[in-house]
Amino acid sequence: MSDFTTPSFLNRADAALADPILKIAVERTAGTAEAKRAIAIDAFPDFEAARTRAAAIKDHVIAHLGPYLEQFEASAIAAGAQVHWAQTADEACQIVMNICKAAGAKSVARSKSMLGEEIGLPHALEEAGIGRVETDLAEHIIQLADERPSHIIWPAMHKTREQVSALFKAKHRTPHEEETIAAMAQSARRELRAKMLGADVGISGANFLIADTGAVCTVTNEGNAELSLVPPRVHIVTAGIEKIVPSMPHAIPMLRMLARSATGAALTQYTTFYTGPRRSGDRDGPEEMHIVLVDNGRTKMREEGLADMLRCIRCGACMNHCVVFRQIGGHAYGGTYPGPMGAVLTPALDGLASNRDLAHACTLNGKCQEVCPVKIPLPTLLKGWREKSWREGLEPTSMRAGLGLWAWVATRPALYRLGTGLAIRAIRLLGRKGWIASLPLAGGWTRYRDLPKPAAQSFMTQYQREQRK
Amino acid sequence: MTRNVALFVTCLVDIMRPRIGFAAIRALEAAGCEVVVPQGQTCCGQPALNSGDRDHAVALAKQTIAALEPYEAIVVPSGSCAGTIRCHYPELFEQDATWLPRAQAVAAKTFEVMAYLDEVCGWKPDGVRLPATATYHDSCSGLRELGIKAQPRRLLNAIDGLSMSPLSGAETCCGFGGTFCVKYPAISNAIVGEKAAAIDATGANLLLAGDLGCLMNMAGKLHRDGSKVRAFHAIELIAGMGDGPAIGEEA
Amino acid sequence: MSARNAILARLKSPPPLAAEAAALLDTPERPAVDATNLESEFLARLALPSVNASHDVIASLTDLPAAIARYLHAENEPLTLCCPPDPRLAPCDWSAFTLHANAAPDETATLAIARLGIAETGSLIFETSPTAPMLPNFLTLHHIVLLPVAAIAAHLEDAPLPGPQPRAHYWITGVSGTTDIEGTYVRGAHGPRYLHVILLRGGILPVT
Repeated sequence: MSDFTTPSFLNRADAALADPILKIAVERTAGTAEAKRAIAIDAFPDFEAARTRAAAIKDHVIAHLGPYLEQFEASAIAAGAQVHWAQTADEACQIVMNICKAAGAKSVARSKSMLGEEIGLPHALEEAGIGRVETDLAEHIIQLADERPSHIIWPAMHKTREQVSALFKAKHRTPHEEETIAAMAQSARRELRAKMLGADVGISGANFLIADTGAVCTVTNEGNAELSLVPPRVHIVTAGIEKIVPSMPHAIPMLRMLARSATGAALTQYTTFYTGPRRSGDRDGPEEMHIVLVDNGRTKMREEGLADMLRCIRCGACMNHCVVFRQIGGHAYGGTYPGPMGAVLTPALDGLASNRDLAHACTLNGKCQEVCPVKIPLPTLLKGWREKSWREGLEPTSMRAGLGLWAWVATRPALYRLGTGLAIRAIRLLGRKGWIASLPLAGGWTRYRDLPKPAAQSFMTQYQREQRK
Repeated sequence: MTRNVALFVTCLVDIMRPRIGFAAIRALEAAGCEVVVPQGQTCCGQPALNSGDRDHAVALAKQTIAALEPYEAIVVPSGSCAGTIRCHYPELFEQDATWLPRAQAVAAKTFEVMAYLDEVCGWKPDGVRLPATATYHDSCSGLRELGIKAQPRRLLNAIDGLSMSPLSGAETCCGFGGTFCVKYPAISNAIVGEKAAAIDATGANLLLAGDLGCLMNMAGKLHRDGSKVRAFHAIELIAGMGDGPAIGEEA
Repeated sequence: MSARNAILARLKSPPPLAAEAAALLDTPERPAVDATNLESEFLARLALPSVNASHDVIASLTDLPAAIARYLHAENEPLTLCCPPDPRLAPCDWSAFTLHANAAPDETATLAIARLGIAETGSLIFETSPTAPMLPNFLTLHHIVLLPVAAIAAHLEDAPLPGPQPRAHYWITGVSGTTDIEGTYVRGAHGPRYLHVILLRGGILPVT
């Protein structure tokens, strides 16, 4: 057991590493996503310039977030929607519960939203005794299994087809007979169709909020958003305040990046802009539309050096390409959002003290930043958390003392030469035939790999001797 | 024209594998450079920087800047240490009007050794022969912070008898990550285990890369797993020192 | 202080410059589309595995019922159609069909008229109105879409409607699909499993 880490993260990671099924499941989905994205990006002209533009659009919005939110609010109200504001997760849930109560809601259909997960909406609905139908296929799997999402695009990516099959057979009224993924999807379609149509309230998130029209944009590939949001009498949107874009044309470059980065498609199958409730003469659509604008730490992130993170469009590319995520999956991260973006967000949402490991459990290889469609400097932000953790004294004493001693010596070159000479001699005593199989204080290394024996003399010693010749 | 360059050895090369430093000197001299090794250098401070220990990172950066700034160019046999100096020193001193210009000046003239030989010197090994099949791993910091990808391959292509076998996932991190590998050894092991399998699958007899940390990680895993693949820093081959002991072999 | 005021107080900034916002849209990066050949560009995207739609071409609006009948026969489906109350469809002779306006929960076939097709992606653009309900297009197994060739535009930027927005403006780019189990693509997740586009080549639709 390493003393550099808090047990909870390490325990979760160890459990994930010990689960061979998880590894297979993550590899199947993330591996496919990685390959498909690569093809899509290759086929897209000037992807780099498109990233720069997408980042610039979000930066512009974040710089003027207040005025844009007010514009959005006015436009949405003009379109007949009701706009609510929540500073915290609890406030947001309370607003949603009040709307549900006023609507006499017995059941709600939910279209997958990470913001909903972030504020704990599934739990709040349960507490309030309101039936919840998760309509996204993966969220449906998660609901049946009574688990939490492990990925922001594929919440059930930790499950293999075999596990899903067993789950559906146990829980569906008319489960699939044929052992194919297509048959399993049909089983869910049968199970969910009637439940969706019978819901009193439909709840969604928003991929984009359009400031000048007051529209809420959702994207799905299944069409479950529309089936969840059109039939019920009430549509509730819970959206993070950073989801604003100035206009629908500004959403278009973002949509191009989102689909390609997430699934490798040119566009999601269903892209819908909802502007207010049902109009006079309309044959469908909700009678009421409520939009809950949620802060939950976002203004603080903007003030405290995490404004770059507010560009995130939740595509999941960073985690699909993360070597650590690919080994431990999403649950090990312990927050709503896993992977690199989760490692940045979770300390902001849930506190640094219990999540300091997330910033460290990263090799800083930079791949996440390279694939991010809005150029979020994720490694830099993670290093920012490391620095804050160090400053606030959250780093383990052994780490602080070790690094302090090393730095003290390293800032004294003559002493450093003496020290390295001694260390080399000591370490070499443990080696056999060039390799060291076990090194005290470096068990983390030698438990899994051999350490090459250091040279007999340091470069500096050898070089100086040569120079004197 | 003789180029006067300072070699920043890096702490890892200094202690673990000095012949990488000597190989860098040999190649630079072959390319017409005059090489000096400034005595005030120890470590660039990356371990402190990446641990969040800003004060010590600043102290080491100042020491390194002071040691290196007198020279025309600074050459480093490591993408990650060169990246620290080039990309992160200026960030460290963003709010320091005295040190920022000094950090920027040093950053601007600091190069990874293979990039320097290829791009600045326009040099290629001449008359170096090594009959072997090698595979190349692109270390992350060099690749993503400094754009090092084609340069080592161009230099290696000039070695007579050396054939290159492409590594599947060559741009995928090996799981070293500095202190990451000892803080999260089990995760690191899972990552390097896959890397080692990919290296073995190339059928190459040599593994090459541009960063000793990553090389020690991969070579250590390969050795533990009983692989016969031998690991070198690419500059060792480029300098004509590929016939010597590989990482972990007795001289 | 209300939550609204508390949030806005922390987000004070000068109002955004319209010119700055507009500049963000200058010459967007997007897939190349041959503007002289929008129909074939559109059809090529429609046939991509990710879009997965079939198509037919008719010369005039009166050919529409026969084209739909052809499709439903080929799919072994009855000539029963959920048809929007759109007066533009008046010239069609539906005598071979059983028509209804409201979709059943397990609707088999639904007709809709797209306002635009987008060549860049193979998208179909719709808006809700009293004559254009939305739900049938999602409940149905076979989604049959009438699109005038003249209404094919090059890029997604051509899709937005200026001025006041309808209740819903939506883009359909292929059939309902999911990759939620092991990343494997399956069609017909919740919505239509089949998307069939009927291109109207001759003439244009009468204006509503």
